[in-house]
Amino acid sequence: MSATIKQGLTADTVRELSEARNEPEWLLERRLDALDALEDAQLPDVIQTPGRRWSNLTELQFGKLVDPLNQVDETERVTDEGIEVLDFETALDEHEDLLREEFGATLDPETNYLTALSAALFTTGTLIYVPEGVDAEDVKIRTEMRSRSLFSHTLVVTEESASVTILEAIGDEGPTEDDEGRYFSNLVEVAAGPNSNVQFGSLQDLSSDAYCYTLKRGDAGDHATIDWIEGNYGTQMTRSDVETELNGEGSESQIVGSFFGHEDQHFDVNARVWHNAEHTTADLVTRGVLDDTARSVYEGVQDVGRDAWDTSSYQRENTLMLSDESEADASPKLIIKNHDTEASHSATVGQVDEQDLFYMTSRAISPEQARNMLVEGFFVPVLEEIAVEEFRDDVEELVQQRLD
Amino acid sequence: MSSDQDHLKTTDTEERFDFKKDSEAAYAAEKGLTEETIHAISDDKDEPDWMRERRLRALKQFQAMPMPTDWPGQPDLSEMDINEIVPYIRPDIETRGGVDDWKDLPDEIKDTFDKLGIPEAEKNALSGVGAQYESEVVYQNMLERWEEKGVVFMNMDQAVQEHEELVKEHFMTDCVPPSDNKFAALHGAIWSGGSFVYVPEDVTVDMPVQAYFRMNSEGMGQFEHTLIIAEEGSEVHYIEGCSAPKYSAFNLHSGGVEVYVGENAHVQYSTVQNWSKNTYNLNTKRALVEQDGRMEWISGSMGSKATMLYPSSVLKGRGASDNHITIAFAGEGQDIDTGAKVYHNAPNTKSTIESKSISKDGGRTNYRGLVHIADGAENSSTAVECDALMFDNESTSDTMPYMEINESKVDVAHEATVGKIGDEDIFYLQTRGLDDDDAKQMIVSGFIEPITEELPIEYAVELNRLVELEMEGSLG
Repeated sequence: MSATIKQGLTADTVRELSEARNEPEWLLERRLDALDALEDAQLPDVIQTPGRRWSNLTELQFGKLVDPLNQVDETERVTDEGIEVLDFETALDEHEDLLREEFGATLDPETNYLTALSAALFTTGTLIYVPEGVDAEDVKIRTEMRSRSLFSHTLVVTEESASVTILEAIGDEGPTEDDEGRYFSNLVEVAAGPNSNVQFGSLQDLSSDAYCYTLKRGDAGDHATIDWIEGNYGTQMTRSDVETELNGEGSESQIVGSFFGHEDQHFDVNARVWHNAEHTTADLVTRGVLDDTARSVYEGVQDVGRDAWDTSSYQRENTLMLSDESEADASPKLIIKNHDTEASHSATVGQVDEQDLFYMTSRAISPEQARNMLVEGFFVPVLEEIAVEEFRDDVEELVQQRLD
Repeated sequence: MSSDQDHLKTTDTEERFDFKKDSEAAYAAEKGLTEETIHAISDDKDEPDWMRERRLRALKQFQAMPMPTDWPGQPDLSEMDINEIVPYIRPDIETRGGVDDWKDLPDEIKDTFDKLGIPEAEKNALSGVGAQYESEVVYQNMLERWEEKGVVFMNMDQAVQEHEELVKEHFMTDCVPPSDNKFAALHGAIWSGGSFVYVPEDVTVDMPVQAYFRMNSEGMGQFEHTLIIAEEGSEVHYIEGCSAPKYSAFNLHSGGVEVYVGENAHVQYSTVQNWSKNTYNLNTKRALVEQDGRMEWISGSMGSKATMLYPSSVLKGRGASDNHITIAFAGEGQDIDTGAKVYHNAPNTKSTIESKSISKDGGRTNYRGLVHIADGAENSSTAVECDALMFDNESTSDTMPYMEINESKVDVAHEATVGKIGDEDIFYLQTRGLDDDDAKQMIVSGFIEPITEELPIEYAVELNRLVELEMEGSLG
């Protein structure tokens, strides 16, 4: 697989990207290291059960999709007082030491083939730096991709007792003319200092011919909280991994996911937490709806390490199927090595409740309207977790668009 | 192991096949499973050619398939060198396992029998010593009673001869083909012994069919095959294994169980297995369930070094149902990777899976399950419930269910919880005068009750007793 992409991808390409952006030598080195790593790197693991592989990432035609030197995006960044929300080039000028220390510290660029590709080729990105004790709200990064491929990197660093709420949204200008698709890749690292609080919301609404890969990983310090909200609505295929390492004592994480697939969309969404310290808490909530021939694959992992005394860990995944042609695959996993743990997971798959429908239609609501109301209601537990109003509105609107 | 190997060197079975194990080197030279091994087995059993062909085909499949190595969190099989194991199979070909004398049994096994409070005569039967007579009496009595109803219950080897057509049609064809996995292929090549159960249309066998004595007395060994055919409207409860540890000289147990549940038939398969702690227990068990048929799997997995076992039901006919109740107990150095698989391939099918596990002293339990609902299997429902109890911080308990849902008109629920034994519960019981161990014992008994209440009383009692012994750390 790597052969296809490697043909057009050389160290010169990477140097050209780096030079055009006046990057320091160390960043170029890291890009080149990531490029080298492509040789041996594997695609992300996908779930396999007897006779089948749940997602086919090899269908990504990198040769066609990836055009490293022609990446164009328009990104709007909304910041708040007392914090830094900077594009990567500006961040390199103003906070080079911080970038040098934190870039790739939480998320190893050599995790897999797609992360390495992203680390070698990224052209857009944002640093969000929240100094000690500062409380920031409504930070927004709205990106529109305007090229066949776009590689992005987001780095969030919060100092002690800081707090920030972030919404990152990705969209594009519509389907490509030749219908051959786009590829958007986004790596997100969150380093949450002691007692800090990060809510990172992500909304993906790319065109129906696009492919998306995203890996988001947080490192929670002592008593820190990292909450993720992940909304996937667009693309023909999305692979999304959201992960938190609870490395600090008393740290917490919530991962809230929502998706709504229609036509022949394929979502491979994954939520994982590692409890590595004492008194940590995690809550994983994912709700998805599938229509037409759409398909979802879900893996949730709660990994409780040997030293994670007094752990609480919960996971719920619910999928609603609106069509007989759709498919929902789920595997919520518990890996427990410390017995001082309260852990549970549950998963359900089902259709719109017949009795609810009957009740509503008997109250003179049309069957279609009743169904739509029930679907909207299904997303309420997810919507309730979203701190940013604008984000909540966006999700509600996307759900409604799907239903119309 | 050395005493076990000594035993192997002296069985006359081995002499018959002219094994030369006088030195380590000669022993090594015999490693590997070849076509000659298959011919030797087949000759010895005087098998029809078709069975010999199936064995040879399975051997080819076994040789072609790689070891499973890429399952997330799978038990470590790296120390299990198949080439080391294969020579151990030979003595087992002859239905003559066990040792010649009670006193030759490993102390661990003898202690267990003593602690279980099993009478001397029964101990002998269980350990395969001089059980031939007693066992045959039991067997014959049962046989007569069933024969009147047309029921067949016999050794699988015997069934190949006496019920050739039935066996030819059902043996490792549709249910567990050797191509299913590497160990099913191994099993297909070298299987020996086991049970054949045939229940004719509309016959209800109202007492459990037990392969309890027989299994040991005839030394059915480590590659036994169980084939159960329940015709339309029939009903049978088959119980296999014994709740006492089996004497095992072998490193690998790779059994095969195939159950054909006819229309509207009902089969319950119960097993309490407690393998010796050097055993790799890698089995394939599957039921094919026709319209309105019902399959129940009740199993207790104890013992073994590593177990990989996921009894499975294929719900082929409309309205077919499955019920799994499993319990796993892993102590020191044990990895019990077990669960359930259900394929809903028809409308209105239903399954429930209830899985309990206990891990202690560094043991690992894992629930690995697969529920597949095919497109068109409308109005199907499945409910999976897994509960894991952990005793200490050295132990590990994992849950890895997989759900593949291709149909929208379904009701799918999975739930799992993991927790430690409740400090408050223990405290409460202690204030009522129980000591710490008794309190824990009582909590565990309550925890596994859903399993024990499904078993006939003698099995339930022994399962409880086994769990007690495991908890006292006085077993093995």
